[in-house]
Amino acid sequence: MKIGLEMHFQLPTKSKLFCSCSTEGAEPNTHICPTCLGFPGSRPALNRKALEYGLMITKFLNCEINERIWFSRKTYFYPDLPKNFQITMYESPLGEHGYYDLNGKRIGIWRVHIEEDPGRIKRVGKSGDEVSLIDYNRSGVPLVEIVSAPDMSSPAEARDFVAELLVELRHLVGLSASDEQVARCDANISVGEERVEVKNILGLKNLERALNYEVSRQTKMLAAGKEIIRETRAFDEERKVTMPARKKEMEEEYGYIGEPDLGEYNVGEFTNGLVLPETPIKRAARLQRQYGINAVTAKQIVITSWGMADLFEHLCEKIEPDKVVPKLLGPITSNWTAIEQRLDDNMRAQICRVIENDINGTITDSEARRAIATIAEGGNHVAEERTVVADELVISINEFLDAHPETIKDAKSNPKAANSVIGHVMKATKGKFQSKEIVEAVKKELEKRP
Amino acid sequence: MSVSIDDARLRAINDKYRIFNQLIDRESMEADDSSSFTFSAKDNLCTREFQARAGSKILEGYRPPFDATPVRKLREAGGLLLGKTNMDEFGFGTFSTNSGFDIPLNPFDTGRACGGSSGGAAAAAALIEGHVALGVSTGGSISAPASFCGVFGLTPTYGRVSRYGLIDYGNSLDKVGLLSRSMGDIKMFLPVISGSDPKDPTSCTQPRIQISQRKIKRLALPKEALANISPEVESTFRYALEKMSLELGIAVHEVSMPSLRFAMPAYYILATTEASTNLARYCGMRFGVPEKDVSQHFNDFFSGVRSECFGQEAKRRILLGTFCRMVGFRDKYYLKSLAVRQLITKEYRSVFDEHDLIVTPTMPFVAPKFDEIAKMRPLEMYSADFLTIPPNLTGLPHLSAPCGYVGPMPVGMQFVAPHWDESGLISMGEEWERVFQLKTPEVMQ
Repeated sequence: MKIGLEMHFQLPTKSKLFCSCSTEGAEPNTHICPTCLGFPGSRPALNRKALEYGLMITKFLNCEINERIWFSRKTYFYPDLPKNFQITMYESPLGEHGYYDLNGKRIGIWRVHIEEDPGRIKRVGKSGDEVSLIDYNRSGVPLVEIVSAPDMSSPAEARDFVAELLVELRHLVGLSASDEQVARCDANISVGEERVEVKNILGLKNLERALNYEVSRQTKMLAAGKEIIRETRAFDEERKVTMPARKKEMEEEYGYIGEPDLGEYNVGEFTNGLVLPETPIKRAARLQRQYGINAVTAKQIVITSWGMADLFEHLCEKIEPDKVVPKLLGPITSNWTAIEQRLDDNMRAQICRVIENDINGTITDSEARRAIATIAEGGNHVAEERTVVADELVISINEFLDAHPETIKDAKSNPKAANSVIGHVMKATKGKFQSKEIVEAVKKELEKRP
Repeated sequence: MSVSIDDARLRAINDKYRIFNQLIDRESMEADDSSSFTFSAKDNLCTREFQARAGSKILEGYRPPFDATPVRKLREAGGLLLGKTNMDEFGFGTFSTNSGFDIPLNPFDTGRACGGSSGGAAAAAALIEGHVALGVSTGGSISAPASFCGVFGLTPTYGRVSRYGLIDYGNSLDKVGLLSRSMGDIKMFLPVISGSDPKDPTSCTQPRIQISQRKIKRLALPKEALANISPEVESTFRYALEKMSLELGIAVHEVSMPSLRFAMPAYYILATTEASTNLARYCGMRFGVPEKDVSQHFNDFFSGVRSECFGQEAKRRILLGTFCRMVGFRDKYYLKSLAVRQLITKEYRSVFDEHDLIVTPTMPFVAPKFDEIAKMRPLEMYSADFLTIPPNLTGLPHLSAPCGYVGPMPVGMQFVAPHWDESGLISMGEEWERVFQLKTPEVMQ
């Protein structure tokens, strides 16, 4: 089975690709101007930030960057497309021949380019009496299009790929969180020889559903000895099936020409100078390598929060990573919201000391847990040093022994008699001490008694 | 300079020559005596107070919410906009006869055409004293009417004047320029309308414009230019060259520019290709002709509007242009033409190594009569532009200057300069103006 994807994500610029209208959601047809409505006499001017984001993504996907790029007009008549052509890239995408490593498997990236979004058509009114309303707020919003090679071999893998890319791109250029739902994909899928294109799939869940539907449809057809025809299909979200779509023009029939209003851009030098920040999946891979922790844990730390990964690396400067992990996934994770708000050098130092004390046995696990909760709330409580706490344990044991002399006698002949002391002390100290510690202390105190 | 024309006289002139499709109404305006000159805008330049229809019925009712940059700049310089001048629909023509509105009449003979597509602009420049007309050239639309109407017409380097607010014909070819009876006005107002404009990125790579008088010494005359020129035009042109040599000491050398003959096919392919995409937006929605029966399927709806409202020539160019960018023809025509454009630019450069400017007649004949035009086939009309197309295709600045008369009808000659050297054209034009006896048309009292 082969699956290839054409993915569209909105770039997080404040203004549109070719005009200064806002990209924020708003009342229909309020974020519009002569340019994004295609008024005669208006003209596009490129949003540099969109180009920069596009190039960062291209570089991130290990593409060969085109030194010189230009835009093209893709002409087709549709009511949501104000100029009846879309400004996109054709002969000179931002980059080509890239790849992305998905869980150790290399997925080819054929091309990356940026383009403008058309408006949105909404059908309203009773069936049979419907009208189409067009909202041009989206017209001109910048999109990046990423085309992958047909290198994925299951719907789940395709979904993982898009999900991972979203995690990475969100960090790289700051895609907004809601884009997970609006990631728009066209998928090419072939179970046998011939491929079928499923257009306009919205979101990750639908992507997997649409592909699963196609897998079973195509498998059944092949099993029945039928031929799969090359066609474009659309996914029906309600019924969760794919249906043959309207005959769309073949790619070549758009009559592409260069966009003469925008000229050419030499982006080679600019792109070479771009320094990409480390992205979550890559950081997780590094954490796994560098600190010898397992892959799932590394991903969990990074994806929970970038700051948590920072804290992890900070703690690992002084403490063994395998000692840090349980604290990080335990009390630190459960108090993370509070910690994240106040995290500073002082707090980092306190957390570090708590873990160190826990490791060297000065405090118990539950004491450490409480200490971290207190620190998270802004308290300055660090579990106190050994002498004090040890005294508390000894005092508690001796109080009980003083009150129950028969237990001391019993214990000489029956080792199980100590259990009642242990049980009592555990209750009395409310879990401040580890059970092993209590057992040892009780044994020691009993031995002292005649 | 001062605004010297009153509304009544302006209306009378317009009734006779059909220069404007929309005119200023000063009686209904608040008195504003601060204007120091009058100007006009070709109908494809957007202004807030008038409809911008680019000579097309499909734009009936379109009142742009903004001013084109050159219009704004002339206003800021104290200009009073008199109105919108008639033109061929979207600039598609050589005689201003392909108009959805009025066809302007030649100031020297109302039975003849003004030339095009900036025909109304040239007539306004010829007929209104102290007037500067904003014209637009894609393939010769300033030179041709300047030549036929006996005025100076300067087409700047591509990218010199912002195209913000210009209704597109071919975006890689369109240039806004000036027409006037006087070189002094062109010299004064060209720097005003020039300059980088962030609203038109293609205007942002220009060197600063600097106009300084300099002595023009050597002109090149491509021998290919004189084939297919009418004998009267050729003799008038040759007489002008002699006059330049004798009175101004300017030498003219014959050169050969064999690639010029490829300019016309390359131009028509590029211009129509771009036009066919530019005109896609006219579909009876959002602006222009009011929406009709919206219950139809979208394809039927826009096809209906376009069939009804586009003129013959617009339809022809949409078909030509769409054909040239179709798969299978795109490489053969569109991409090839882009290469031809580079080739011709290179040939121009080598001629400019040895010469200040290139000179040719502007048009192969004087302004034709309307009944002659009616008999011309499209290809004959297209061929009339064979001398104005090469500098337009290559984005080179050029100036058409009146150089003599055949009977009452003016003859023009065209100077072409290297990219960004408008100063050379102005130097040449001013020197010529000094020795040339310019005739102005007789305007009724």
